[in-house]
Amino acid sequence: MRGLRGRLRILAGIVVLAAVVVATVNPRAAFNAIQLPLYALFSTTRMVLAYLLSLVFAITYGATAAANKRATVIMLPVLDVLQSVPILGFFPAALVFFVVTFQGSPIGIELAVVFLIFTSMAWNMAFGVYESLTTIPVDLEAAAASFGLRGMLRFRLLALPAAIPKLVYNSILSWSNGWFFLVASETFTAFGGTYTRPGLGSFITNAGIAGDSTGIALGVGVLAAVVLALDTFVWRPLGVWSERFRMETTGHEVPRVPSPYERFRWLPRFPRLRQTFVIAVQPVVTKYRRASVRLDRTFSAHRRVIREIRFLDLAMFSAILLLVVVAGLIGLVRLFLTPLPPAAAELPRAAASSFIRLGLAYAIALAWTIPLAAWIGRNPRGSRYVTPVLEVAASLPATALLPIIVGFALFATASLGPAAELSAVLIALFSMQWYLLFNLIAGVRGIPEDLNEAARSFGLRGRAYWRRVLLPAMVPSLLTGSITAWGAGWNALIVSEYIPFLNPPPHVSGLGYLLDIATFNKPPDNEMILLTILMMIVIVLAMNKLLWRPLYKRAAVKYRVEV
Amino acid sequence: MEAPLLEVKGVTKSYFENGKEFKVLDLIRFELAERDFVCVVGPSGCGKSTLLRIIVGLEPPTSGQVLFEGSPIRADNPQVAMVFQSFALFPWLTVAQNVELGLEAQGIPPEDRHARARKFVDAVGLTGFENAFPRELSGGMKQRVGLARALAIEPLLLCMDEPFSSLDPLTAQNLRDEILQLWANPDLPPKAVLMVTHSIEEAVYLADRVIVLSSRPGRMVAELEIDLPRPRNRKEPEFYGWVDEIYSLIV
Repeated sequence: MRGLRGRLRILAGIVVLAAVVVATVNPRAAFNAIQLPLYALFSTTRMVLAYLLSLVFAITYGATAAANKRATVIMLPVLDVLQSVPILGFFPAALVFFVVTFQGSPIGIELAVVFLIFTSMAWNMAFGVYESLTTIPVDLEAAAASFGLRGMLRFRLLALPAAIPKLVYNSILSWSNGWFFLVASETFTAFGGTYTRPGLGSFITNAGIAGDSTGIALGVGVLAAVVLALDTFVWRPLGVWSERFRMETTGHEVPRVPSPYERFRWLPRFPRLRQTFVIAVQPVVTKYRRASVRLDRTFSAHRRVIREIRFLDLAMFSAILLLVVVAGLIGLVRLFLTPLPPAAAELPRAAASSFIRLGLAYAIALAWTIPLAAWIGRNPRGSRYVTPVLEVAASLPATALLPIIVGFALFATASLGPAAELSAVLIALFSMQWYLLFNLIAGVRGIPEDLNEAARSFGLRGRAYWRRVLLPAMVPSLLTGSITAWGAGWNALIVSEYIPFLNPPPHVSGLGYLLDIATFNKPPDNEMILLTILMMIVIVLAMNKLLWRPLYKRAAVKYRVEV
Repeated sequence: MEAPLLEVKGVTKSYFENGKEFKVLDLIRFELAERDFVCVVGPSGCGKSTLLRIIVGLEPPTSGQVLFEGSPIRADNPQVAMVFQSFALFPWLTVAQNVELGLEAQGIPPEDRHARARKFVDAVGLTGFENAFPRELSGGMKQRVGLARALAIEPLLLCMDEPFSSLDPLTAQNLRDEILQLWANPDLPPKAVLMVTHSIEEAVYLADRVIVLSSRPGRMVAELEIDLPRPRNRKEPEFYGWVDEIYSLIV
C-alpha cells in the first residue's frame, strides 16, 4: 500500500511537470486551464444541488411509499418506470419548460441542468430508502413497537438508521451517474441553437469542437481528479461510516452487490486532515443534535398537527401526480388523434439498429469483463495494481470521453460513415462495460470460501471449475449488471448517435439520432420527440419485464449461494 | 376479585391465503397471576411465537381477546417488555442506548435514563460495556443487553420468545440461572414471566407452570404445575419424570 502511495506522489509530480511544460509550449491552452478550477467548482455545485434535492426527495418518497400500503400501489410502479427509462430523452422537454418559465435567462438553463442531474440520481435512492424500510427485520420492528417508539423518535432511531447503508450505497452509484448527465447537459443542442453553461463538461466539449487535444486531456484530467477527490474525501468515509448501520445478517444472506466502499481502497486516507475536519465540524453537529432533540419534543407534542401535515403532503403529491398523468394522457390522445408525422415510419428501423448497436456493445463488454472479473475476483493480490487503473477509468463518465472516442474513430476509419458507427458503438460500450465488470467481480468475490475449498478438494479444475462454480456464481450479478448496463446504454444512444458539434455532424440511424434531430429542429418537432421517447420506454420496459425480471427470478432461486 | 395480571381468552389465529384458511392457533385460554413463571412449549411450527406476539399486542388475534390488568393489551404498553430470540438489538445504538430505548420512548429525561440504564446493565453483568456496539458482543452478551433493555422499563410482565435458542448450550445454561436469580430478587422487576420455548427441559427447569401446545394448529394439550423445589436438578428422576410426561403429551 505504501509503495502505491509513493507512486501516487510521483504521479502528482509528473502532472505538475506536464502542466509547466504545457504552459510554456502552449500559452493559450494554459490560459484556458486557469479557468478550470472555477469550472470544476461550478460543475460540482450543480452536482451537490441536484444531490441534495434527490436526498430530500428520496427520503420523503421512499418513506411514504413504505409507510402507506395504498400509496405503494401507485408510487412503486411510477418509480420503476422512472428508474428504467432513458432520462436524457426528457431533457429537451425539461429545457423547454425551464427556459420558457424563466424567459430565456441563464437561471432557467441552470435549473434545467440541475433538474436533469436530479432525475438521474433520485429514483434509485428512493428505491434504496423504500427497500431498506420494508426489509427491517420483523423482530426489530416488533422491539420498536413494544418499547413504544413512535413518530419522530421511531424515524430517528429506527427508520433513518436502517435506511442509511442502502442510501449511501445508492448515493455513490447515483453520484457517478450524475457526472454522465452533467457532462451531457452542460452543452446541449436544441431548437436550432446550442446552450452552454460554464463547467467542466462544457470545457471538454468545447475543446473537442475546437480540436484542441491538450484542452481535452486537461479537462478530462481535472474531471478525473475531482471525481477521485470527492470519492476519497466524501464517499469512501461515508461508506465506511454507513457500515455501522448495517443489519447483522445472522447467516441469512450474503450481499451479492459490489460494495462501492471497497472500491478506491487504495486511495490515501489522509487521517490527520480528516481529524482536523471532524474537530472543526463537531460544534455544529452537537448544536444540530440538540436542536433536533428539541424539535422532536415539539413535534411529538403536536401529533395531530403532524398527521394533518402528512395528510396534506399526500394530498398534494396525489394532486401533482394526477395532473402529470392527465396532462400526459391528453398529450398522448392528441398525438394519436392527428395523423402520425411521416418521420414516424422510420421508428421501427431506427429502434432495430439502435438495439443491434447496443447488443454489439454488450457482447464486446461481456467478452472481456467475464474473464477479467474471474481473474480479479480470484487473485486479490495479483490484481492489486490492475484495480486502481480500472477504477479510475470507470470513474470517468462516457460523455466526457466522447471527444476522445470520436477523435479515435475518425482516426481509425477512413470515412465519416463508418467512423460515426464505430464511435456510437464505442460510447455505448464505455457506458455499459463498467457496470458489468464491477458486478461480476463482486459475484466472484461472493463465492463462499467453503464452496471453493470443496471444489478444490474434489479436484474441480479448468473448464469443470468454470462450469460448476464460477459461471453459476456469476449469474445473479451478471443479470444485475446487465440491467444497469442496458439502462446506461439507452442513455448513451442519445449522445452517441448524433454528434452536432462537428461539421458535418457524424450520425448513424437510430432512436437517439431521431430524438436529437427532432430536438434540434426549430421549432422542435414535439410529436417526434414524444414518439421516440415512447418507443424507447416501451422497449426498455418490455426488456425489463419480459427478459431480465424472469431471468433474475429464476437465477435467484437456482444460483443463490446460501451460507 | 381483582382481575388477574394477564388473561388470554379463547385466542384463535388464522391466516388466509387464496381464500383458504390456515388455522395457526385454536382457542388458547389461560391466565397469569403475579409471581407466575409460565412456559409455553410445543413442537416447532405450533404457533408459539405467534401466540406471544398476540399476547404482547404486536398482532391482533382472529378471534378471542387478550386482557392485561383487565383491559385490552396494546403493543406499546410500558408494563410489558419483550425479549427476542434474535436479540433485536439496534445495531447503530450502543449497549447503553439500546437499554435506554424504552425509557427514551417514555420521555424520561436523559440523566434519569442513564442512571437506570446503568443499574440494569450492571444487573445483567455487562458493567464496562455501556459504550460497546452490539456487533462487538458475543451472543450471550447480546441477549444480556436484550434482557437489560426489557427490565429497564421495569415491566410487570416479561415476555421472552425463545430467548436462549440462538445461544450455545453453556451460555444458555448460565443465562437461565441468572434469570432465575434476577427473578428471585424481589426488588427487581418483573412481577411475572411468560416464556415460549421448544425445549421441554428448559421449560421444566424454569417454570412454575407449563402450557403444552399441540402442533398445527396449536391447541392447548395440558397445563401442568411443576412443583419441583428450586434450585432444580436436571439429574433427578422427578425432573425427568416431568420431561417425559410433557414429551409424551406432545408426541
